[in-house]
Amino acid sequence: MAIFRSIKKNRVKTYKFNYSQVAWQACAMFAMSILLGLAINQFRPDRLPLLGDWSIKAKLVTANGDRLEISFEEAEKLFMEKSALFIDARSMDDYANGHIPGARSLPWHDVDRWFVEVTEDISPDTLIITYCEDITCDLSCDLALFLLEMGFKNARVLLDGWAVWLKSRLPVEKGNDVS
Amino acid sequence: MNPNRILTLSARFVLGGVFVYAGFDKILHPSAFAEVVYNYKILPDELINLTAIILPCLELVLGTFLIIRFWMPGTVVMSNLVLITFIGALVFNMARGLDVNCGCFSATAVESSMNILTVLRDTSFLTIAVYLLYSCVFHKN
Repeated sequence: MAIFRSIKKNRVKTYKFNYSQVAWQACAMFAMSILLGLAINQFRPDRLPLLGDWSIKAKLVTANGDRLEISFEEAEKLFMEKSALFIDARSMDDYANGHIPGARSLPWHDVDRWFVEVTEDISPDTLIITYCEDITCDLSCDLALFLLEMGFKNARVLLDGWAVWLKSRLPVEKGNDVS
Repeated sequence: MNPNRILTLSARFVLGGVFVYAGFDKILHPSAFAEVVYNYKILPDELINLTAIILPCLELVLGTFLIIRFWMPGTVVMSNLVLITFIGALVFNMARGLDVNCGCFSATAVESSMNILTVLRDTSFLTIAVYLLYSCVFHKN
């Protein structure tokens, strides 16, 4: 018992942790980081606004100020006239479970892998409409911006995407033959 | 020199260097880092830019303090908390199948997507941080 008491006593002696010291140092470092970050941001030319607009609608504006969004009615009309190419930005599994007839699959998460294969026969002037699941999904937006960057001049986004297409009981195609 | 002191010194310089390197690139490219933070889809929109402005500076401060051995108890505890947060964010997004750029060391370069190796790399940094916690904070110098 004497040995155990001695070990316990020594352990208490050997280890220490000063909570208040850790707390004030951590708070001071955090405050320093905030001040340093704000100061650097204030004096840089490419200053970030403290509160940025990260909504999907804000992302849908190009550097030239053009809006990429297309209304459902307009997309439906273009689909009926067959004057636009639809591209599905969701995963290939989602695409195979159901997609807009004639749409091609170009999953945003695998865009580097499939981009050339899917787009090599598309003319740069083709009106392309990207879509994904619903208004909370921004894959279609990212894909449209990427397509614009890659030289496709008429990329647009159907914001409500697949959800509204299903809701409107428009034709649906299954499988992954098209892509 | 005592082997424990050499080990602690090496751990401080390795972890400090990692933090300084990781923070510096993000400070140079704030917009790209804000995009990385957004892609993680963890924080509310209002906190994305603030995080992109403050977090790289916190990494820089932690790295510098580790190297110059300043305020060690607070620095080491904060380093552990920051690394646990990073690993948590990586694992959380991997678990829900979100395949985004890690943005761990560079906000602009095309880093590989987060995967188990990214988590293992961060876990090895956490191991160093836990060792420092033991040697610099809990252990009597």
